[in-house]
Amino acid sequence: MGIDINIRVSGGAGQGVHTVGNLIVRMVVGAGCHFHVTQDYMSRIRGGRNSQAIRIGSDPVRAAREEADILLAINPDHLPHFLPGVAKGGFAIADVPTAAPPLIAAPLKEMAAMAGSPILANVAGAGAIAHALGIPPETADPVFAADFKGDFFEKNRAVFRLGAEWAREHLPEEIGKRFRLPARLPVPRIILSGNEALALGALAGGCKFASGYPMTPGTSILAVLADEGPSLGLVFEQAEDEIAALNMAIGASYAGARSLVSTSGGGFALMTEAVSLAGMMETPVVIVLAMRPGPATGMPTRTEQGDLEFVLSAGHGEFPRLVLAPGSPEEAFALAQRAMDQAEEFQVPAFLLTDQYLADTIVDIEPDVLGILPVRRHIVRGNSVSRTPEGRYLRHAYTESGISPMAVPGEQGITVVVDSDEHTEDGHITEDHETRIRMVAKRLRKGAELARRILPPLVSGPPNGDALLVGFGSTKEVNEEARRILAREGRSVAVVHLRQVWPFPSEEIAGIVPRYGVALTVENNATGQLARLIQRESGVKMDGTISRFDGLPFTAERIAAEARKRIWTGNSIPT
Amino acid sequence: MDGKFDTDIENAWCPGCGNFGILKAVKKALEGTGKENHEIVLVSGIGQAAKLPHYVDVNVFNGLHGRALPAAAAIRMANPALTVVVTSGDGDIYGEGGNHFLHNIRRNVDIALFVHDNQVYGLTKGQPSPTGDRGWTGSLQRAGVISGPFPPLAVALSLGCGFVARGYAADPDFTADLMLQAIRFKGFALVDILQPCVTFNKKNTFQWYGSKAYKLPEDHDASDRMKAFALALEWEERIPLGVLYRKERPSFEEMHPVIAGPPLHARETGEEGVRALLRKRMTQT
Repeated sequence: MGIDINIRVSGGAGQGVHTVGNLIVRMVVGAGCHFHVTQDYMSRIRGGRNSQAIRIGSDPVRAAREEADILLAINPDHLPHFLPGVAKGGFAIADVPTAAPPLIAAPLKEMAAMAGSPILANVAGAGAIAHALGIPPETADPVFAADFKGDFFEKNRAVFRLGAEWAREHLPEEIGKRFRLPARLPVPRIILSGNEALALGALAGGCKFASGYPMTPGTSILAVLADEGPSLGLVFEQAEDEIAALNMAIGASYAGARSLVSTSGGGFALMTEAVSLAGMMETPVVIVLAMRPGPATGMPTRTEQGDLEFVLSAGHGEFPRLVLAPGSPEEAFALAQRAMDQAEEFQVPAFLLTDQYLADTIVDIEPDVLGILPVRRHIVRGNSVSRTPEGRYLRHAYTESGISPMAVPGEQGITVVVDSDEHTEDGHITEDHETRIRMVAKRLRKGAELARRILPPLVSGPPNGDALLVGFGSTKEVNEEARRILAREGRSVAVVHLRQVWPFPSEEIAGIVPRYGVALTVENNATGQLARLIQRESGVKMDGTISRFDGLPFTAERIAAEARKRIWTGNSIPT
Repeated sequence: MDGKFDTDIENAWCPGCGNFGILKAVKKALEGTGKENHEIVLVSGIGQAAKLPHYVDVNVFNGLHGRALPAAAAIRMANPALTVVVTSGDGDIYGEGGNHFLHNIRRNVDIALFVHDNQVYGLTKGQPSPTGDRGWTGSLQRAGVISGPFPPLAVALSLGCGFVARGYAADPDFTADLMLQAIRFKGFALVDILQPCVTFNKKNTFQWYGSKAYKLPEDHDASDRMKAFALALEWEERIPLGVLYRKERPSFEEMHPVIAGPPLHARETGEEGVRALLRKRMTQT
């Protein structure tokens, strides 16, 4: 099975949890291994309780584990919360006067003070962990060199070595053996979070305008676009509110720029009228909805998949939309490109659904996996547009597909007229009922076209059998691992990952689900929205839902435990 | 259909509406710019006033109620070669869209904003708008408006708006000149246009304005901001018309590090540029 070591680092906000995590993952990749980071933080800037879980494997790791093999509690106050989660055979270190196994008392603050900087207690802990993993202290030097200069660089190096030295002297020998990473040749890997991957995918997809109002966990997408977008000519502007953000993106899109906004539930709620505007004006736009627990302000820094039904219905009136739900950072990179392309091809609002768990998940990725497709614009210029006999350009010309040739304002001889009212082909306001019927039909025809190009769900496992787990978005990898856990026990389960939820792959799902004895959805929400969607759209009734709605992500072990209970001990209760 | 900007789109305003005078002024101002039809975008929200762009042969973005300014600002960011003019009502700009009014003045995006200020919501049949007087009675406010009026010129000045003017629908030539100045002005330019609503506003009529409105003298010092403030607060007895304040400073488009250059629709996305960003996140081995 190879290596599977789970490290948890906890501390208050501002105590350097992130720094330790960054050090460890870089050292892990430097040692030729792979990692998966899950971030757990509170809605505050200092204090409280934040943690990172760094799961290390000899093969790529894509999901979290329940228990930690190694716990570094930078703030000992967090021990009651995290110490019970230390696995058998594991250990914890914290700066306490006395300790009983699995806790080992480590004078982190004293080591930091000795190196001249008391705030670097976290780095002492990182040094100790490096020793436990069998990683030589020098491996950390390039990481420090990249981030720190001069005196601060020296202090970090010194504290790290003190931590490693302390561990060499004080960690029981069997620990030194149990968690040592194998010596392997490192290969270049790209380190990406889900949000970074999504934002870079949008850039790869030709995004040139982004606007937004900061809202966790959607903010880091805006940050990547604001910081890195300029190198590709992207204009970013922070909007005064979310209503402005999406109306701006639509204005920029009207002027020919591929545009994106990013937000979470509450901000998205404010955007819904503009979603309707995009539908009516047929302006392409990409909207990232990074979900967190609601309703209202909810739990700002936690995860949930509670806005599925909201995103499917948001925006008054009837008009087509595209909703994609990536299940991993790699998939986010690919689907962001697809969203930018299809929004423009079909002239619809396209949504990318993610959540705090995926947004903040960090993994190492093989560079060749991240494919970049060439950007193909779906804009017409000059002579290929339809006009009235008087020469007016018909922005909303009736066509068989419902998609009208789309010109951009500023071109000689064309004026582009768009309106939020119902309109004639030339874009001007109409109250004519016959025109209304034709325009509604035209817009809905685009939906039918979109439905011919659905990205099918991914299915893994046997083609039929006892059990099926169906999820969308960020449950992809954790369902997959649950499948493997159950398969090792001789329990056959297949997994469906819906990476597109609208237009819905009704036929595929209707064909797949009945092939299994018990079919459950796996969802981070309380009411089983995916199960309802499946029933509504494909007529198939699911046997139940494995839910989690405490604000934390699933682990594979937890899903497997639920599945065992519900499927193989006769307790599957249809909902 | 003689003028360059005339259209044959059927008009939906009440006979005698002040909007006709404003429309005449807009066309005259646009002709004065020397720009071609395709180089201009008229942006509006919703209301009777907001129908104006449909009656002018240019690019038109007639968006949501209150949301003309965000769209207009972004059109400028996406293609600063386009001349962008927002023309919409007082309810739309100062009420529903108030937040965008405040913050786009702060941005100093290079657009001209013409507000058809008739103190009512016409299309929804006669509620008072934010600029309506205290005590005014009408739909939804039969007992009389309790809130004090929103002073758009004073608010604009307080936010640092570089061009603040007041026009009058009954004097299209005068207003057209203000509009042309506003369009030519670099940065955010506001022209609030007094407009009688013959159907719903029985207080602020042509006669009412006629007796109070006066044009600022030729020698008015438009660079004096405090003087402009004082003028902006004149209302009940006397109402100054003309350019109250004018002072250019760099626009948002000039200050933004990425806007200058080809319009966004003409910018390429090279694979190499994206690969470079991915490489930044690659581990060294």
